[in-house]
Amino acid sequence: RAHSNPFSDHQLEYPASPAEMDWAKLYPHLQDEATGEMTKKVTIADIGCGFGGLLVDLSPAFPENLILGMEIRVQVTNYVEDRIIALRAQNKDNLKYRNINVLRGNAMKFLPNFFEKSQLEKMFFCFPDPHFKQRKHKARIITNTLLSEYAYVLKEGGVIYTITDVEDLHLWMVKHLEEHPLFERLSEEWENNDTCVQIMRNATEEGKKVERKKGDKFVACFKRLPNPTII
Amino acid sequence: MTVVHPFQSIVPSRDNSLLFVTSRNQILGFKYTNEKFNILYHWKDQYERETLLREKVIKEQKRQLAENAKLDLKKSKDNEGKPVVRPEPKIPTPGPGAPPIYSIVRNLIVSPDDTKLFACTDSDKAIIELSYDVNASSSTPLGLDLLKRQPYSKRPNAITITKDQKNVIMVDKFGDAFSMPIDGSPVLDINEIEPILGHVSMLTDVLMVTDGEGKQYIITSDRDEHIKISHYPQCFIVDKWLFGHKEFVSSLCSPTWKSDWLFSAGGDDNVFAWNWVEGKNSSKFNYSELIRPYLTDAHLAPARFQNETNDTIEYSVSKVVVLANRPFIAFFVEATKLLFIISVDKSTGFLALAQQIEMPYNIISLSSSASDDELQITLDNRDCDNHKHFAKFVTFDKDTGKFVVDTTKSSAFDEAVAAALKLDFDLQCEKADIYPLYNVTSLKKHGEHFS
Repeated sequence: RAHSNPFSDHQLEYPASPAEMDWAKLYPHLQDEATGEMTKKVTIADIGCGFGGLLVDLSPAFPENLILGMEIRVQVTNYVEDRIIALRAQNKDNLKYRNINVLRGNAMKFLPNFFEKSQLEKMFFCFPDPHFKQRKHKARIITNTLLSEYAYVLKEGGVIYTITDVEDLHLWMVKHLEEHPLFERLSEEWENNDTCVQIMRNATEEGKKVERKKGDKFVACFKRLPNPTII
Repeated sequence: MTVVHPFQSIVPSRDNSLLFVTSRNQILGFKYTNEKFNILYHWKDQYERETLLREKVIKEQKRQLAENAKLDLKKSKDNEGKPVVRPEPKIPTPGPGAPPIYSIVRNLIVSPDDTKLFACTDSDKAIIELSYDVNASSSTPLGLDLLKRQPYSKRPNAITITKDQKNVIMVDKFGDAFSMPIDGSPVLDINEIEPILGHVSMLTDVLMVTDGEGKQYIITSDRDEHIKISHYPQCFIVDKWLFGHKEFVSSLCSPTWKSDWLFSAGGDDNVFAWNWVEGKNSSKFNYSELIRPYLTDAHLAPARFQNETNDTIEYSVSKVVVLANRPFIAFFVEATKLLFIISVDKSTGFLALAQQIEMPYNIISLSSSASDDELQITLDNRDCDNHKHFAKFVTFDKDTGKFVVDTTKSSAFDEAVAAALKLDFDLQCEKADIYPLYNVTSLKKHGEHFS
């Protein structure tokens, strides 16, 4: 299935609060054996990670970061899980792919259950469901009201990455991000010099599909601004 | 059998001299003087929803017919080359057998300056702004002046007023919060209103609070377990979430005597006390054992969520309120007769049972006076055949240190309702036509979608 209704009452598992999340289950090699505490926190999130192409390519590029993919479709999540298990097994000797994992979840509803305030450095929204119908626009992953929640989990200077092959959706995402007081668009020059943009353009399965079809890919990146003075 | 429709909600004026109740699509205002209630205000929502719905349906039918006509011009043909005849558009027309249309007035609140009444209407999903005068007196009921009627695209679920009294904040079924100015500015086009914040879940309650530095915040609760605190008016800055609820949250309140505190309740077995400024849960009060003897067949879960032995029960707190001047909160569980009064330790926030007061019938609504230590309660008295027990007033007795039902005031209200019946209001209905009064527990989620 290509789509999932983000408003539905899914049978989901999520922690009651970020403090109650068992990260060791996803990143067992980053748990301090003596204390049982995690030595690192997730700082990069791929929202709607699909088949995990971006995770796999980000892993060696950011070996010091913990990277999490969130995906709402069960089957797809299972696939990515298997993929990461296999990659870790193949790379037992060089310790690769220990910094990525995936979990099934509804990021639009439960992001604050997983991440603390200002925890994330980067958030990716790659080829999100376009929800073409006007009536369904609230189901889009980028809306004015959801951006406030993304701004909450992103630290100052953190970056939201968006890419899509649907021009309407691209314009919609740019419009809403530009309107939001806590985000500022990064320049084309910045995009061209950014590693993640290069990876994002080429890594994801959706990206490759668009490539094969010689379609357009629209990229927009936004920086999390500091909070203004509270009035 | 004809009965007086039970009053769905109740709210006193700030000075507690007037009492407003809603009866389906009507608002009644009573003045309390010399231990007697006199009807002072009567307002009926004249909005006719059925006509509007019909117009909408006809418009849609026309649109579809026009679309079909366009397609016909292209002369679509089937495999054998015969022109395809398109079926008439299928649109249900409201008529006999259609689900009942309720036009209820909900979420009654009064303004802090005691001059305005705000409510929400089902008919056009609007916020209405009405004015009243606490000093008015009249031997015949007066109308309430409708100052503004702002419709929205989704049904409002709760409203509150900002501290500066310049805006009404409304939260809706779709998960969005809106700000409606009350400065006399014109009504906005329904499609042009932007939310000030949102959840991806039905919003259930909203509260405006101020911290020690005088900064304002907006607290919103939803059908998932979330309580979100955002800055106001910079609602795009989320301050924090309060985590702890495992079920939907239905009701929020915050005391004037300790503005850092918050109380919340809903589908959980616990009522929660928080220090919202610190973001910490200070106490939980578990009422599940205490309520058990008061649960009935009405609390059995719907058939499709039942277990094999058919004894899954579902219940939830419908409303929690805080006393104006004393460290107590009060709450009730939907479709029960029991009023809980809980003491709050003023230094720790610890919640402890103070009293349980059993009412003669199920409680429908509960409110707390802003000026004195009184609770107002309306009851589902449909089975009472002598026009009694419409509402109860519970006050604090300083001599005994206990809360008691003010029988004088409660009887006075029953008499006022009896008197109002002689007027030409539409207060009665068939028992079978009483609006469903218990809809909070149905917010419980059952995780219906597995993939």
